[in-house]
Amino acid sequence: MSVAESTSVSPKTPRVPSGHPTFIHTAWRVIAKKPGRIVGLAIILFFALMAIVGPYLYPRQLPINPNAIYAAISWKYPLGTDFEGTSNLALIVTGARYVLFAAFMAAIFTVVIGTVLGLVSGYYLGWSDSVIMRITDFVLTIPGFPLLVVLSTVWNFGQPVAMGFVLGITGWGGLARAVRSQTLSLRERGFIEAAHTLGLSPVHILFKEILPNIGSYIAMNLLLAVTGSIYAEVGLFFLGVVPFQVNNWGVMLNLAVFSAGAMSSVQALPYLLSPLIALLVLTLGVVLFLDAVDELFNPRLKEA
Amino acid sequence: MQILIRLGKRILAGIVMVLAVASFTFFLVRLMPGNPVAAKYNELILRGMTPVQAMDQVRMMYGFMPHQPLWQQYLLYINQILHLNLGRSISYDGVPVIHIILGAAPWTIILVLTGLIASFVVGVLAGVIAAIKRTSPTGSVLSLSGSILHGIPQFVMGLFLAYVFTTLWVIFPFGAPYNAALTPGLNWPFISSLVRHAVLPVATYALSSYGGWMLTMKSSVITVLGDDFILASEVRGIKMSTQVKYIAHNAILPLFTVFALSIGFMFGGSIFIEDIFDYPGLGNLLLHAINSRDYPLMTGAFLLITAAVIISNIFADFLYSVVDPRIRR
Amino acid sequence: MAAEFEARDFHARGVQIRNLRVSYQTPQGDIPAVNGVNLSIAPGKITGIIGESGSGKSTLAMALMNTVPRPGRIISGSVVVDGIGDMLTIDKESRRRAHGRHLGFVFQASQNSLNPLRRIGAQVLDLGRSHNVKDLRALIKRAKELLGKMGLNADRVLLSYQHELSGGMRQRVGIMFALVLDARVVILDEPTTALDMLSQASVLQIVRQIHQERHLTTVLISHDMGVVADLADNVVVMYGGELAEQGSTEEVLAHPLHPYTQGLIKAIPRISGPLDQAVALPGLPPDSAALMAHGCLFAGRCPKRLPVCGESRPTYESVGQGRYVACFRVAGHD
Repeated sequence: MSVAESTSVSPKTPRVPSGHPTFIHTAWRVIAKKPGRIVGLAIILFFALMAIVGPYLYPRQLPINPNAIYAAISWKYPLGTDFEGTSNLALIVTGARYVLFAAFMAAIFTVVIGTVLGLVSGYYLGWSDSVIMRITDFVLTIPGFPLLVVLSTVWNFGQPVAMGFVLGITGWGGLARAVRSQTLSLRERGFIEAAHTLGLSPVHILFKEILPNIGSYIAMNLLLAVTGSIYAEVGLFFLGVVPFQVNNWGVMLNLAVFSAGAMSSVQALPYLLSPLIALLVLTLGVVLFLDAVDELFNPRLKEA
Repeated sequence: MQILIRLGKRILAGIVMVLAVASFTFFLVRLMPGNPVAAKYNELILRGMTPVQAMDQVRMMYGFMPHQPLWQQYLLYINQILHLNLGRSISYDGVPVIHIILGAAPWTIILVLTGLIASFVVGVLAGVIAAIKRTSPTGSVLSLSGSILHGIPQFVMGLFLAYVFTTLWVIFPFGAPYNAALTPGLNWPFISSLVRHAVLPVATYALSSYGGWMLTMKSSVITVLGDDFILASEVRGIKMSTQVKYIAHNAILPLFTVFALSIGFMFGGSIFIEDIFDYPGLGNLLLHAINSRDYPLMTGAFLLITAAVIISNIFADFLYSVVDPRIRR
Repeated sequence: MAAEFEARDFHARGVQIRNLRVSYQTPQGDIPAVNGVNLSIAPGKITGIIGESGSGKSTLAMALMNTVPRPGRIISGSVVVDGIGDMLTIDKESRRRAHGRHLGFVFQASQNSLNPLRRIGAQVLDLGRSHNVKDLRALIKRAKELLGKMGLNADRVLLSYQHELSGGMRQRVGIMFALVLDARVVILDEPTTALDMLSQASVLQIVRQIHQERHLTTVLISHDMGVVADLADNVVVMYGGELAEQGSTEEVLAHPLHPYTQGLIKAIPRISGPLDQAVALPGLPPDSAALMAHGCLFAGRCPKRLPVCGESRPTYESVGQGRYVACFRVAGHD
């Protein structure tokens, strides 16, 4: 009781410093606290680097080698080869750009749409709230993945931005609702009235006062949206409903399982395992890093 | 009485939503590049049908004709939907879509419902233990199991199980829902074959949803354990068994709605599993429809998948107002 | 079966607390919340325990029941309730039976002390069954009687859920739960803190009335000197997990010995007097560093500190009939 009383939090308006050298400093201190977080960050940076420079490391048309079809793991082919004798490592590295870029775009779309609609809905209430919430309910009701499958018949998923856009436009519902309820709870705590009496503009209140207070939540969702989107897009390619005009880990999975018979032949196993392991390691990195993001952006944890 | 009015409103809103989804799919198909409806019509003409025959055929499949104005086509289509007529399949040679869908749905229901119930029961129990023993190694191991299983995507889990149990150790059969040599019916060999073929798909579903239940239940129990009334009941000397009942009742309440919602999402929730294990459910049907450009079938399957969610939403809302006195008014 | 309630013993029960230590385990180490408290709670009297937030008064209350919530832990000491024994060493089942049956506890009104999913009546029955009450009908009758005495519509309340009651109503229901099994010792933890002025007055009135009717031993925990002064026979002042001063209410109010008590009394805003005469106590309660230090806990805020105050802690000593104080300034200390 006594301890709880003395540490009860006051709803101040902590500013999230951005672009300031001290922010990087704080961020690093938080990350360095646990080795798991450093590992997580290292994994994410590693894959990000792979997505950026990966395609430049290999010729545009990856070399095939008829003498090394389903080659075993070796120095020349660290992850073995596929049905044409192309290095699996090269496929993973060059495929990372689409996978990560699409997931990143999807997360941005999700967070921007979800946050703006949630904030507006919770701030203005009234008719805009009911309209936005009706739409949100609708988006939440339609099962996302089957919708993506159906949309794949009309939508060209060849460009990562196009993929990211569709993933974002179908996935913002939950975040919008959560942001709205957080905004409402800030409203209940007298936040908004207090800012009104100070004569602050709605834009200022929304983005300078409320947003930082739910920043942690949004940052977490950004990362979660990245993993969710990776699963969804790789899954779409894996199902084979999207034309295989691009290099993607899901394409590798699909071909390995349904064409190469990797499930029954040990030879093709590296072809199947390469994208799976890439996928799992990346997820692991994001999950490990989430912990640090929570502490970094959560004002409540920071005060303690 | 008030509940009934509320329920009525929800049902009405649900119907509107189904119609909205139907409209969405209508325009999706109608405005698709290459207009599949017109293409089908032309194809039938080329096959030597008279325009009247071709038009009848197209109308049966899609519910509208390519030459009518768009709004007329739309009204015809919606009218058909309201009469539960989803048109006829192209790839199944004109079999009514509703028949094909109703044939596939039971497979998905068996698969998902079994997996859902199994993961719910195990996940909730594990969540309670993980919450109560959260400071001990048992608790940490349970929580970790939940986080890891929750993090693995369904198709990875499916591929993993399929590889381990049908290739590495040939314990379970792969592909097909039962041994095709057997005659379907209530005979033992058939049922045992059915069960053996279902084990891996069900396990995939159960394992990949277990983590979610476990983590949700754990945090729910922890929240309730911190509630004042639990301390109060200890201070009043309430029996341990009654206290446990209080905790369980309060902690499981939020999960009930999620459970009801999950039932709704079941038709669309096993696309990967059905694809990997070649299980003849709705997910597989949807994929088949897309791959063979069978748009009436695709639309119908998607409509059913969505309608199930809408119905379960209404059900969950109703259920919640029954089990939680705070909502009842 | 009504005999169960008729056979009341009219001997009020006292409570002896000896050398009680409770600490909170935190990542920064253990923080003492109650530090070596010795206190006799007089039978049949209202004892007010007063202190600021963080003074350990609520922890002390929970320790009386041996139900200190985590991360708190009772380190040592004894709490002997007349007719029951040491709450800290009796077996779990006897302790559970003592709760509710012999020791009633009323929570702060802002806390939701009732199961939100069960009607009040059903929870009264749960309480009865937990304590093997044979005649549940008589129990309900008693509950109604108590609720009626507190000015509530008893039948309606028993059929209600917690969320259907107002704060003041809930608090009365909490008092009913503490008394319905005829507990002889009742502990009220900030019973009026979250209530509006009118409810506050009426709840205090109820406490006083029931205390007298039933020969209870009442422990009233509050941060409000006004409430304690109004109600209590004896006052105990807590500071930083230790006792600072105790004595009969008139004595303490008229001649406060500890500088902290003097500060508290000065800080009472008097409706009749000019507001500027109410002097807020400067400074903050001791932090964990101060709790660990050797000096007097109040030294940092004390207007009358001596050099010795920073070096060692004054002992809590008797300075007359039922009168104790821990201060170097007071005679009896060297």
